[in-house]
Amino acid sequence: MVIKEPDSADVLSQEESDALALSEEAIPESLWKVRLGLGWKGLKKNWALFVENKIGLLGLFIIVLFALMALAYPVFRAVGPWQDDNIYDPVIGYDAPIQEFEIVATEAEITDPATQMDANTAQLWCFGVAPGGICEIPLQPAPPSEGHILGTDPLGRDVAAQLSFSTRSAFMLGLIAAVVTVGVATVIGSISAFYGGWLDNFLMRLADLVLLLPLIPILIVLSGLWTINLPLLGVLIGILSGFGGTAIVLKSQALSIKVKPFIDAARVSGGSNTHLILKHIIPNVLPLSFLYMMFTVTEAISLEATLSFFGLLNIDMSWGIMLNTSQSQGYLRSGLEFWWLLIPAGLAVTLLAAGFFFVGRAMDEVINPRLRAR
Amino acid sequence: MLKFIGRRLIQMVFLFFLFLTLVFFLLQAQPGDITAQFLDPTIPAEVRAQIVERLGLDGSIWQQWWNYVTNFVTGNLGVSFQQYPRTVIDVIAERIPRTLFLFTFATLLSYILGFSLGKRLAWRRGGFSEHSVTIGGVLLYTVFYPWFAILMILFFASGLGWFPINGFLTPTFWRNAPYSGNEVFAQMLLSLIVMAVILLATKWLASRQDERSLARLVRWLGYSSGVGFMVLFWLTKPEMRPFAQDIAHHSILPIVTLSLIAFAGTMLLTRGAMLETLKEDYILTAQAKGVPEKDIRDKHAARNALLPVVTSLVLGLAFIIGGGVVTETVFSWPGMGSLLLTATVAEDVPVATGALAFIGILALIAHLVVDILYAVLDPRIRIQDSN
Amino acid sequence: MTDTRTTAAEPDRGFVDGHREVPILQVKNLVMNYEVKEGMVSAVEDVSFALPKGSSLGLVGESGCGKTSVALTLMQLTANNAKILGGEVILDGVSLLELDKEQMRQRRWTDVSMVFQGAMNSWNPVYTVGQQIREAMDLHWDPTPSAKEVRAKTEELFNLVGIDPEMIDRYPHEFSGGMKQRAIIAMALSCDPKLIIADEPTTALDVIVQEQILVELKKVQQELGMSIIYISHDIAVIAEITDLMGVMYAGKLVELGPTGDIFARPRHPYTWLILSSTPSITGPRRQLAPLEGEPPNLLDPPTGCRFHPRCPFATEVCAKDEPPLTEIEPGHSIACWNHEQVPVTFVKGEG
Repeated sequence: MVIKEPDSADVLSQEESDALALSEEAIPESLWKVRLGLGWKGLKKNWALFVENKIGLLGLFIIVLFALMALAYPVFRAVGPWQDDNIYDPVIGYDAPIQEFEIVATEAEITDPATQMDANTAQLWCFGVAPGGICEIPLQPAPPSEGHILGTDPLGRDVAAQLSFSTRSAFMLGLIAAVVTVGVATVIGSISAFYGGWLDNFLMRLADLVLLLPLIPILIVLSGLWTINLPLLGVLIGILSGFGGTAIVLKSQALSIKVKPFIDAARVSGGSNTHLILKHIIPNVLPLSFLYMMFTVTEAISLEATLSFFGLLNIDMSWGIMLNTSQSQGYLRSGLEFWWLLIPAGLAVTLLAAGFFFVGRAMDEVINPRLRAR
Repeated sequence: MLKFIGRRLIQMVFLFFLFLTLVFFLLQAQPGDITAQFLDPTIPAEVRAQIVERLGLDGSIWQQWWNYVTNFVTGNLGVSFQQYPRTVIDVIAERIPRTLFLFTFATLLSYILGFSLGKRLAWRRGGFSEHSVTIGGVLLYTVFYPWFAILMILFFASGLGWFPINGFLTPTFWRNAPYSGNEVFAQMLLSLIVMAVILLATKWLASRQDERSLARLVRWLGYSSGVGFMVLFWLTKPEMRPFAQDIAHHSILPIVTLSLIAFAGTMLLTRGAMLETLKEDYILTAQAKGVPEKDIRDKHAARNALLPVVTSLVLGLAFIIGGGVVTETVFSWPGMGSLLLTATVAEDVPVATGALAFIGILALIAHLVVDILYAVLDPRIRIQDSN
Repeated sequence: MTDTRTTAAEPDRGFVDGHREVPILQVKNLVMNYEVKEGMVSAVEDVSFALPKGSSLGLVGESGCGKTSVALTLMQLTANNAKILGGEVILDGVSLLELDKEQMRQRRWTDVSMVFQGAMNSWNPVYTVGQQIREAMDLHWDPTPSAKEVRAKTEELFNLVGIDPEMIDRYPHEFSGGMKQRAIIAMALSCDPKLIIADEPTTALDVIVQEQILVELKKVQQELGMSIIYISHDIAVIAEITDLMGVMYAGKLVELGPTGDIFARPRHPYTWLILSSTPSITGPRRQLAPLEGEPPNLLDPPTGCRFHPRCPFATEVCAKDEPPLTEIEPGHSIACWNHEQVPVTFVKGEG
């Protein structure tokens, strides 16, 4: 085993330490500076470990990419190519090139389906126009073109703008769900570990129950009973996940901290229970909590997309809703013909969820060294 | 062992009542009066009062809770709004076997696949294959499931034409069939269950044999009779066979799709558990004894890695059940999951909550099964409990 | 401590009853390094010894001196990053290092078996002890034994090591620590191996059980005429049960000879210092000679004799040239340039 040489910056030279010992006054380092310094060093060390894992980097890269995409929306809408509200608003925008069709009498006479249409079909769109005339039909959804790099959806809205707009809601949802989950789980875990006894038993039994409850069916029924919008969804997901597996893990973490000597020391110095929980146990549980935040974000993004896909949520625009719109109008059945409706939205959900998951796994290896490849 | 099962059963019952209470209060928490949603506001007040009384909506909240619980336990889940006058229990009972079939098959398939892949992956560490399979596995785990299901349909059903696009059976094929879909399906389930019982009994019997040759004989006899039974069963029903085949054909893609997203979780977990197990001393001892590599991996390492993986089955079940709901919907497969969704959309509250409650029961029973399985696999638990 | 020399004529270990007998195990110039990120760790450096049939050899040394590495190399059980760079291992005429993986696997347990440190964890918790012993027999007995034969042999072994045969069908967690260790020994004997290697067989046990196990091992060895290699950092254990003793330091064998001789008069400075650092309850009071410093970093071992930085008798030549293992008395070899300087401080027979 190699014994590492101490960092020259950490160790005082002989003269320095002699000088310090001789000085009459102690020179106190401001507390925040010390904390910052230690925090920074810890961050550097953990970053080095994190980077060792290529998957974590990949995840981080994906997240950054999506963050840029989210930023793109307000930027492009303000000063970029998406300034025209009427066209590029993801919810109420509209733009559809007009296609002209020459109307012929019967189906048999159609020589070029791209520019001709028989009279019966024409009646649906252009009522009253006789054969020989021109029927103008707005093309929606439209394939990618110069003004719309990802085309338009069945309601004539720009797909790229939708994609970008939805990224923001995805991040926001993820944040809300993650914070609520971790908040709930940390509090439950800490209380459970700290007080023990019947409270601990009851909370853990509850967590067991919540753990095995499938979230999707519950959220489906809830969305039928209540009208659920984005923030409420985040809070719901947070509460439902927070009571479950995360609480159990954080409780055992809190338990391992509770038995450490410094807790006894704090108690002896007169710390009340609340003080102990808030100032000592929770801060030490937090790093692990942060790890679980990543997994919660993954779950939240997938859940929202699924619920929106079924049309159950009260949200203006999200990736799930994009797919829902296309699906309900039947455009997803024709294979890759309308690929711009099928691929981007689904890929976005998958990639962002995967990105957070990768980061979570890589963080797991940093926090749990036994997972490291050796 | 029996004491163990007994205790867990009681815990499950308690948890179920907790769950039921939760569901009830969720129901009550919805904005507005439940009557307002289903009763025509123009009906006269006395009639309305009568209906309210009949439905028991006039009592205190605890009264209603008690009614709800007692009704549930006696099998009275109410009447469907949408499919009036069918009772909820009637609607659900029709769908449960199908959903059970989907879940069980998908669970088995995904665990067997995930476990065997995971243990092989852990055995040969490092290199390109580890990274690529891990990334691939995680992508399958985090892929947007409805989207993935659509892609599967587009590729295998529309594209390659191997499977039907959706549905439980082909309606045109069955138009003048002498059997109903449920009848045939029941027969299929029956034959599968009997075969499974024969196979499991064989495995158990064989493991009790001390003499290797006898064990081999038992296994040979048992497995062949299990398979033989299946073959004979369907040989004696030539008229039913094509219909059974139709149903089976429709089931393959949904089951495979669900299994694909579920297996990755097991695979990653198995790999992790194996890596921990491989560090144990008894692995070194097995090597020193000259046990062949494959046996070390399977009989020693994997057998121990199985324990945490089985524990995770509980979490995995929640995943599969949720995924099952999506699967049934996207594939238009008429099980309890799709019932849940259609009932919610149609605001058929009794059916929706009934379906939710049943899904809860399913999850609890599965949890119990997993607990028992774990006790069977880990002698330390088994023997401790009986003392 | 009993006099454990054989009754045959004097100490050239090759002779028994006047005939030169080929030792059951010969290790010649074994070199093994571990490959790590920072370089090569020199774990076993030019180790040679021979073990006569029916004797027991104790390998002694501090943690990390290479004694376990020697054993693992012998059995080809080393980790993936271990590289055997040279030497021969000949067990009963078969050169072990030249065998391929499959050949070695077939010879395991039936030619040489090993009892590992900490028997508690050597048992797989999900199978019964009987099943695991049976596994060994099924693998190596030819023809494959029937269930009855396996049972009979296992009961015989359990009786030999002092465990109630009823425990055969129990799971490891139902055994006590000492019983687990005894069962491991039983399993090690199950295929009648030519050589057994016992690595720290008593370290994890309390003193009373330790004594019991040592007595068992000695009994087993004598009854069955087994050849055993004991590995331990505890000199007292080695003193009690071995005929021969090898002292290892930093991957090198520094002293090799009959246990009694070495204890009576240690010739290598390291051995001398170790024995001096143990106060004797019965002997005269004397100044304890401390062993200063720490074992060297095997990534970059010292030049010349590896012990020279800590050796009170070191001279210039010690820093330059590695002393070879030379026989200074029949059957007693030393690797030291200045072994004559080592004082004679013990009265013969003291332990």
